[in-house]
Amino acid sequence: MLAYAARRLLVSLALVWVVATLVFMVIHIIPGDPAELLLAQGGVAPDPWLVTDLREKLGLDQPLMTQYWTYLGGLAQGNFGYSLLDDHSVADEIVLRLPRTLELVGAAALIALLVGLPLGVLAALRAGEMLDRVLSSLAALALSVPVFVVGTLIILVLAQNLRLIPAGGYVALAKDPLRHLGLLLMPAITIAVGLGAVVLRVTRASVLEVLERDHVRAAQARGVSVAAIIRRHVVRNALTPVVTVVALHLGALLGGTVLVEFVFNWPGVSGYLVRSVESRDYPEVMGIVLVISALFVLLNFVVDLLYAVIDPRVRHG
Amino acid sequence: MTISATRRALLGGAAAAATLPFLRIPGARAATPGLLTFGLSSYPPSIQPWANTGTAAATVKLMIYRGLVSYAPDGSLRPELAESWTLENPTTWVFKLRDATFQNGDKVTSADVKWSLDQIAAERSTAYFRAQIQGLDRIETPDDKTVRIVTKEPVVTLPIWMASYHMPIISRNSPRGQFIGAGPFILKAQERGVSLDLEAFSGYYKPGLPKLKGIRINAYGDENLRVAALHSGDVDLIEYVPWQSMDGIIANPGLKLDAVDGAFMFLVFNGTRPPFNDHRVRKAVAHAIKREDLVKAAFFGRGSPLTQLPIPPGSTFYNAEYKDGWNYDPDLSKRLLAEAGFANGVTASMLSTAQYGMHKDTAEVVQQHLAAVGINVELNMPDWATRVAIGNRGQYDIAVMGTAADSNDPEGLASLLDGTLSPSYVRSYGLKVDRITELLGKGRAEFDETKRRAIYREMEGVAIEQAPLVGLTWRSQGYAMRSAVTGFKNMPGALTFYSGLTFETTEVA
Repeated sequence: MLAYAARRLLVSLALVWVVATLVFMVIHIIPGDPAELLLAQGGVAPDPWLVTDLREKLGLDQPLMTQYWTYLGGLAQGNFGYSLLDDHSVADEIVLRLPRTLELVGAAALIALLVGLPLGVLAALRAGEMLDRVLSSLAALALSVPVFVVGTLIILVLAQNLRLIPAGGYVALAKDPLRHLGLLLMPAITIAVGLGAVVLRVTRASVLEVLERDHVRAAQARGVSVAAIIRRHVVRNALTPVVTVVALHLGALLGGTVLVEFVFNWPGVSGYLVRSVESRDYPEVMGIVLVISALFVLLNFVVDLLYAVIDPRVRHG
Repeated sequence: MTISATRRALLGGAAAAATLPFLRIPGARAATPGLLTFGLSSYPPSIQPWANTGTAAATVKLMIYRGLVSYAPDGSLRPELAESWTLENPTTWVFKLRDATFQNGDKVTSADVKWSLDQIAAERSTAYFRAQIQGLDRIETPDDKTVRIVTKEPVVTLPIWMASYHMPIISRNSPRGQFIGAGPFILKAQERGVSLDLEAFSGYYKPGLPKLKGIRINAYGDENLRVAALHSGDVDLIEYVPWQSMDGIIANPGLKLDAVDGAFMFLVFNGTRPPFNDHRVRKAVAHAIKREDLVKAAFFGRGSPLTQLPIPPGSTFYNAEYKDGWNYDPDLSKRLLAEAGFANGVTASMLSTAQYGMHKDTAEVVQQHLAAVGINVELNMPDWATRVAIGNRGQYDIAVMGTAADSNDPEGLASLLDGTLSPSYVRSYGLKVDRITELLGKGRAEFDETKRRAIYREMEGVAIEQAPLVGLTWRSQGYAMRSAVTGFKNMPGALTFYSGLTFETTEVA
């Protein structure tokens, strides 16, 4: 088992290295010069020797391979580097912002499950009836509307017209817990609309499948109450595919909440990544992509280990 | 099989939803007396006093710092840390300082002015005015209150340089990495990417100012959210009001809009290769575009056609005789093309960016109008960073640009018109018009106002003929605020981005 874990760990580390190298090369190959951009803010022309000076100061005049080795050397020591814009530590910024994105994704998943699961079960129980058709249509609608449309609508109705919650922004939980949750609600609901629809559909399909199984019929024949059958025999068995699908989506959301973070001014890691790419802030882009991919790889590593624990054949295969 | 379920859960959910309207989140409305909440269009990349890091940073700089000179709300130059300035001889300007205090309690002295200018000119400086200050002959400080600036050539616009938000005076005793200014507000706290908190500076040299106790700045990158935040009362004031939202703000009785034609859109050319190295082809472009369509399509009618050089009509340098210099005349365009030997049409590439709607929309409308006279352009619209790089390298035939001049003085257009300056995406690539360079030099050295006006009138005449750039539209630059906000003013023309100066007189009821 230990040898297997070591092998998987090595593969994971290699993957992280490949990602780091790819990102480094890609960001340096695409056009756009951070020094030029930094000096050209506000649509004015920087002097070329000013640009040359700044490139030198930022180390961008070095050969690409030299920059690459310096970067890898830094990484090996746990140093993600500093923003080209204002010398701010990239690691500090990720530590600050990653939890916010995780919180947003977590809250969205919670809402999606709370709404999607019961409605999915209900739709399955009423399969073919009016309620099922309505719920399935709503789910299809929720899935097909883009997040920025949902987000903008929610802002328009809840913030601008009803004035229930602020129109976006962020306040630290420690500073004002109530306002923090209020601000979290809108972006979380926006993500949850699509995710909840997915949960509803998967739950419905899964429950329908379980309802046909022999043990459910047997329970029914034994005279077990309907509520108990659903709770103990149906939902529990139907949950596995739901959990798998939700976990997959959460992984994708980690770096994919860009639009929602932008629309709601939520200062998470996705919006930070987009801004960094726009300003060609190389250390920031690399740091964020690296951390997100490392999280993915870590997740896979853990899953691999779990498989091995569950199924001994994996270990020896 | 069918199993009937109870409706209890559904009813519970409905009841919970019904309570939603009563769950008002506290603080959803901005309401602390004396504290203004300001919705900025982006979080400033850095607040380095002398570097140009964009207009959002400039607005914050105008709250924290002050220079020797600044602008009054009507756009005229006014004394600031210098109570007066005089021209001793054509190459010597003398500034007399007033009694003012930095935010660390130190007096503002001539030594601080010299130190600040030295920092700007320093070898590793990224200051916007580095080249200009390095080009000075010397800076003398005969006493604590006098600064004598000696230039190598006569520079009539030196006081305008000193009024720039990139030229604040900083205390020479500032701790390393910090910049202590003498402005009306002190930067108390900032959360990177989110917000900045400023507090009134009680030692500000203008008695009774600032009127606000503090300013909280929230960055709203999304323009629709910025507007929603104002409508919902989250913020008191916003900048960069999107054009499509202006009508909605005017219609809201609790809000007011302050908009001026400040920034403008224009076209630049690659002057190193055909067809745009021929001024007749450039002029053909100028006459082919119906600007009214542009104003409608790209700016929702919030702007005005620009058919001459971008000198605002309110300026003393405005030349009414060139009002229709580049009027819409497709027949003239076709004639000019034929004269230049392109009777059968021209094919070229046009650079813009899809990252900003106004650049993209402008490019698309211009493309259609050009096609109508036989100039077929293929659009290249990468992200902004790539567009800047391509522009600086001249890898285009014709490009869409948008900016505001450095000041309302025609010298502010030099960076757009002077082809002898280094290559830059803001001006045409490799397009030198010697007479324009000459006249810009003459205007810079002429102290007589009437003669200066004549020089720039001649320059505009040359520019209309040679079209080193082609004006498209003025675009409206708007601030919107709650009716309770008073004393804030959108400054005229190119100075719209200096409106941050009026935060010192702003009040919120």
